[in-house]
Amino acid sequence: MAISVGLNCPACGGAIQVAEGDNVLNCGYCGSLLWAEGDAGVMTVAYRNVQGRDSVLRATEQWWRKGWKARDLREKGKLLECYPIYLPFWSTTTRVAGWICGYEERRHTDREGNVRTERIPMEEMVLNDYRYTSIACDPGDLGIRYLRNVGGEASFADFESIPTFESTTSKDEMIATSKQRALEEARGDANVPHITFERVIAIPKGISRIYYPVWVVRYSYGERMYMATVDGVTGNVLSGRAPGDPLYQSLAVTAGTSIGGLIAAGGLAFGLGAGEGLLALIGLVVGGAVLALTYRFFRHGSEIVEGDFEGKAADMRGKLMKEARRTFRGFHT
Amino acid sequence: MRVVQVKCPRCQQPIYSKVKDLAFYCQHCRTMHIRNGGTNIIDFDIAEFSPNARGDRVYMPFWRLFSSFTINQANVAGGTFHKLSRMIKGTANGGNLFIYVPAWETAVDEFKRWSMGMTEGQPMYSLRQDFNNVERGPTAITKEEAMQLADFVVVTMEAERPGTLQYLDYSLQVHDARLVYLPFVRGAQGLVSGL
Ligand SMILES: [Zn+2]
Ligand SMILES: [Zn+2]
Repeated sequence: MAISVGLNCPACGGAIQVAEGDNVLNCGYCGSLLWAEGDAGVMTVAYRNVQGRDSVLRATEQWWRKGWKARDLREKGKLLECYPIYLPFWSTTTRVAGWICGYEERRHTDREGNVRTERIPMEEMVLNDYRYTSIACDPGDLGIRYLRNVGGEASFADFESIPTFESTTSKDEMIATSKQRALEEARGDANVPHITFERVIAIPKGISRIYYPVWVVRYSYGERMYMATVDGVTGNVLSGRAPGDPLYQSLAVTAGTSIGGLIAAGGLAFGLGAGEGLLALIGLVVGGAVLALTYRFFRHGSEIVEGDFEGKAADMRGKLMKEARRTFRGFHT
Repeated sequence: MRVVQVKCPRCQQPIYSKVKDLAFYCQHCRTMHIRNGGTNIIDFDIAEFSPNARGDRVYMPFWRLFSSFTINQANVAGGTFHKLSRMIKGTANGGNLFIYVPAWETAVDEFKRWSMGMTEGQPMYSLRQDFNNVERGPTAITKEEAMQLADFVVVTMEAERPGTLQYLDYSLQVHDARLVYLPFVRGAQGLVSGL
């Protein structure tokens, strides 16, 4: 990730390239070795905002048309505000080194039908770097927690003109959570089904602060207020709340309820008919699960919520973190 | 954020380099320094090439960790410890060793190969005063990181014998780390020791 910063070589004045997390820089013009010093040892970079009001509104309108949002959003949605902000994120690299030992179980069935379980011992070495990001301030109602894009041009050029949120969360806490996550992920990567012993360490290799441009769009639909955020680098919608479409919803609820009911009833009928209590039970459980899913999906009432909002966080965290990881892996290797 | 030109803390000459190297070497006064919070001048070794080492020569940096270990487990003889016990002399239950951690950015296999190879081999070499215009590989691992990797190197050495890892019971102390440039020759299969 070579990104140019609005900084110049102190020796020759040439524009310099900086990569997030790299303290040592080389001036491409005079060959000087340069050292980037952050505040309190934390390197800070900012990404250049390349979106404008028009492209942000276009992205929002496209987003309105996606999913089960109210079909008349384009006609009835009223724009209230649209402005860019800089959000601070922590970005860490953690190296995990060690050994994870345990075993894998394999089942063998012989001719008589006896099942024998074989334990295959495993000793796996791990030596890997893991990168994580996390928002470094209270995200409020923005629905943003992680930084998923790691490409783009960094610049301090427009840094002064865009309101910036100060970082408020602790750097040490971020390092500690990164260590914990990296260890968990390394265990996953070692792929030892039953871990009996491990000797691993997580070494923090670096932490930097990234200021990332995000556009906030606030709009109303009927009596209620909604919002969306748009990535100032990629132009994609990051998060948002939108009114759901009543027709889609009633259809979905009806379908969900009917299918759930049918499965439950079917299971019951079939189960009882066959004289098998277990089947009936399975039918009931599956039917109930479908109903619960339908309910969960619409418990926000007539609102469609996308992104990483508080409350929704528990459901979304796993998914988001995985996505974030995938992005970084792709970048890293 | 502030960007400064790296200058030698002893003679104030600027340092030029085409690569990102965490070990800053002054060509003028042969001072090496690192930056971790402050500016610290460090001692370092440059090992002499074997006269037989012909070809594309390069110096690669290692953090050589002066460490001592104690084997806590009673039954050591011919038992659980494979590599460490060989380094014990007489009836002692511990000893000193240099643990070598490659200081450049390595792939996993390369890390394993050179940390094991050098730590098991405990190389002997004579010292030089300068690099003799031989290319120097860039340092990417900090001293602190290297010290934290010491235990991993020892465990990995012992792990060559399967089934022993969970019974390893020893304590390891790293006393000091020194940057050591060891000679290599670039071959078709990667680096070959030039000692
Ligand atoms: Zn320059
Ligand atoms: Zn000097």
